[in-house]
Amino acid sequence: MSKYIPTIGVEVHVELKTNTKIFSNSINGYGQMANSLTNVIDLGYPGTLPTLNEEVINLGIKAATILNCKIRKVMHFDRKNYFYPDNPKNYQITQARTPIGYDGYVEIIKENGEKKQIYIEEMHIEEDTCKSAHRGTKTLLDFNRAGVPLIEIVTKPCLTDGEEVKLYLEKLRELLSYGNISDCKIEEGSMRADVNVSIRKNEKDPLGIKAEIKNIGSISNAKLGVEKEIERQEKLYDAGKTFKPQTRRFDDKIGDTVLMRVKETGNDYRYFPEPDIPFVILTDEMIAEVIKTIPMLPDERRKKYQSLGVTEINTNKLVQNKTLSDYFNDLLDTEIDFKTASNLLLGDISAYLNKSEKLITDTKLSKERFIELVNLVSNNTLTSKNLKEILVPIMESDNSIPNIIKENGIENITDDTEIRNIIKRIISDNPESVNDYKNGHDRAIKFLMGQVMKETKGKANPRIAMEILTEELQ
Amino acid sequence: MRYLNKSITEIHELLKSKAIKPIDLVEEAFENIENNKEYNAYITLNKEEAIKQAKELESKEVDNLLFGLPIAIKDNIVTKGLLTTCGSHMLDNFIPIYDATVVEKIKANNMIIVGKTNMDQFGMGSSSRTSYFGSPKNPWDKTKIAGGSSGGSATTISCRDVLFALGSDTGGSIRQPSSYTGIVGMKPTYGRISRYGLVAFASSLDQIGPLTKNVYENAVILNALVGKDEKDLTSARKEEEDFTRLIGEDIKGMKIAVPNYLMSDIVSPEIITKIKETIKMLEENGAKVDYVDVKYLDKAMTLYQIIAMGEASSNLARFDGIRYGHSKENPKDIQELYFETRAEGFGEEVKRRIMVGSYLLSGENAKIYYDKALSIRDDMKKEFINVFKNYDLIIGPTTTTTAYNLDDPMDDPLKSFMDDVLVIPANMAGLPGLNLPVGFDKSHMPIGMHIIGNAFEEAKIYKLASFIEKELNLDLNPFGGENNE
Repeated sequence: MSKYIPTIGVEVHVELKTNTKIFSNSINGYGQMANSLTNVIDLGYPGTLPTLNEEVINLGIKAATILNCKIRKVMHFDRKNYFYPDNPKNYQITQARTPIGYDGYVEIIKENGEKKQIYIEEMHIEEDTCKSAHRGTKTLLDFNRAGVPLIEIVTKPCLTDGEEVKLYLEKLRELLSYGNISDCKIEEGSMRADVNVSIRKNEKDPLGIKAEIKNIGSISNAKLGVEKEIERQEKLYDAGKTFKPQTRRFDDKIGDTVLMRVKETGNDYRYFPEPDIPFVILTDEMIAEVIKTIPMLPDERRKKYQSLGVTEINTNKLVQNKTLSDYFNDLLDTEIDFKTASNLLLGDISAYLNKSEKLITDTKLSKERFIELVNLVSNNTLTSKNLKEILVPIMESDNSIPNIIKENGIENITDDTEIRNIIKRIISDNPESVNDYKNGHDRAIKFLMGQVMKETKGKANPRIAMEILTEELQ
Repeated sequence: MRYLNKSITEIHELLKSKAIKPIDLVEEAFENIENNKEYNAYITLNKEEAIKQAKELESKEVDNLLFGLPIAIKDNIVTKGLLTTCGSHMLDNFIPIYDATVVEKIKANNMIIVGKTNMDQFGMGSSSRTSYFGSPKNPWDKTKIAGGSSGGSATTISCRDVLFALGSDTGGSIRQPSSYTGIVGMKPTYGRISRYGLVAFASSLDQIGPLTKNVYENAVILNALVGKDEKDLTSARKEEEDFTRLIGEDIKGMKIAVPNYLMSDIVSPEIITKIKETIKMLEENGAKVDYVDVKYLDKAMTLYQIIAMGEASSNLARFDGIRYGHSKENPKDIQELYFETRAEGFGEEVKRRIMVGSYLLSGENAKIYYDKALSIRDDMKKEFINVFKNYDLIIGPTTTTTAYNLDDPMDDPLKSFMDDVLVIPANMAGLPGLNLPVGFDKSHMPIGMHIIGNAFEEAKIYKLASFIEKELNLDLNPFGGENNE
């Protein structure tokens, strides 16, 4: 055991999934030509004024609800004043005094099964800055990101190790993407985490000197960064040294944090209420309306899937893939074999989707078509071998499933007498196997069944064939 | 032949009957502007475009009272393709790529923009002497100031160059120069007119308004400027109304309050006398006038300095040399770009206000000063609401003195605020206020009366103003000979 107690707080920025920016009607998009998604408001032109995208407030209410926060009903925006080239007005519109959500928590389950609540101090709405790129002596500015809506979620300093940070970020990502609040893509910058780390000897001691880690490119790096930082601070203290409050960044290449800058004392942002945006006043009815639109969240999905007979492994796999899980949720009001449905989705269909780099929603597999397919498999009309043969046309063509089956010559033989005749012949041709079977060798029946399928070129309905085979062997 | 000295209805009839064309008015306006060049009312003229537009209008139907009429725009209201400097070196190369909402409305009414008027740099000043382009001169006496910050707009109206000008008023910037130059200037209720496209000075106080030679024309153009704008969240949604509708009504029974503070010894005796004469006339005509105490009026100046400078320090942060406007050439780093651009681009008064404003918002000061000011401002609003429970309107003088000399020293920063001490309370409370000329001092410099209305009751102000205007029947043309009928 380490002789120090780490104290960790996490600040996460997520970009909200809105059609337009927070204070202008420019498109909120990623990966477009530089400065193509901008207008005079995003560029901070003289005389321009902000409007307020209502969708942002709605997503704020949703996020606050999902993160178990209290929701502030009377709020305003504030200006955070500082000069930086990525800040077009040289002030950022944020919520400093009246964050939309406060006093929330997220529950994580640690590897040892222990549950822990990560407390959320507050979450507020603000605008993103523009992106700057340095080219030699020049700095290029891309204002596409300027004015993209953000929510910043700030935890209390209640985390104690890298694992908790990782689990918290994973949980947050799962909740916010399932809530349709953000797509939470760390690599595209739509989810960004800054972690504050300090250590101290005793619970009673005041908190130690803080280092903030920025520029964390993945959740696993967040864990690693925290662990490395704790290690660094411990070594310093052990050697009787100390350090100044500082900002560090995680360097992917060396897998460690490096110093960015020593924190200057007392950044003075000259906050004051934004006079261009009137107070936002929420009523209980408005909040209730928005809460109604929150989709089923992961924990509820897991419970639901398992109650329908889906295995635990499949349940977790489904919930990890939001598109598949949403697709699956669409089926919940039908009466199908959900275990088979989950097997199909996570088996052959997932393999197909991965290979063709498609989302299930981009294929011809409509809800109705999938139900048809599940039923054919669950009543053994289609074998998994059959399915593999015809999966591509099912996913890609408009042809009906019965037609596809017919055209591929894999119409099942369900005619009892025909199968019975074939089976009788096979039994008489393979006396050794019949003998083995009677002596209790289970493998023998599998061999005989294989012969049946070979003889019928896989067309025999496996359920019926097995029934007859067992009968004939008695 | 001169047409622009006729009434708006006469001009409208002439246009409608095709006796004259818009181009006649535009040519006359530019002739006037040329003749009155020495008053320095304009920073930029829009001659070529105005002539082109006037010719285009010939094929269009004369469909409203403002059709084809020339108008001047204060140079802090952005005009697409037309230089918009805010009276500052910082923006002396700034050609906007969009129109302010008021400019769109003006264009939609087929009015013709003749040019951009001179002003105190970024609206900061009260004599238009902080303009980077030299000060406008008072048409009644060119050794005197025209007032500010909308000094150019007031001057061009006073000179009778054009019928209409737009100004902006953060702490008296329409009403005070209107008073000094003997014209009618209205600062409407905060939220009446969209601020979209008005380069912000103090966002919670700024309001655009019209300057005209008489009350009726002022009400007519206000009709065209107002309305909820989706681009300005602080603009108000109100039912459409005709601001001229009460003009000509009897004032008998109107209840008018005169705050004692506005008639105290901070105002010159000559002005007090003139206002009292007018009050007497109103009483003789059946209005009921009471002297009342209105709390917090004496605090308005302090509140203004805190709120306006605080907001200004943030609003003017965007002028950093990166995207538009003046930019320091070949800076060695970003700090030098910021420092030198702003050191070179802004004038002294602007820098002073940014520094004071930054200080006022700094650290704990925001709570000590800005928050406190906002809360006293709320108290002041409530005080006004109480007065309007019992009175239709509030009147008093617009300014403490008449226009002073252009070469008076500018080294006392508080002096410039004192020029606006009587008009600032209306900005603080977001109320409409209008300057109406009511006479002259012994050097024949105009004296103005300030009429304050309850929120969104501009029509009532016009009613009283037009009554006084008609009764006094002053010759308000500085060059003489104006017949007011």
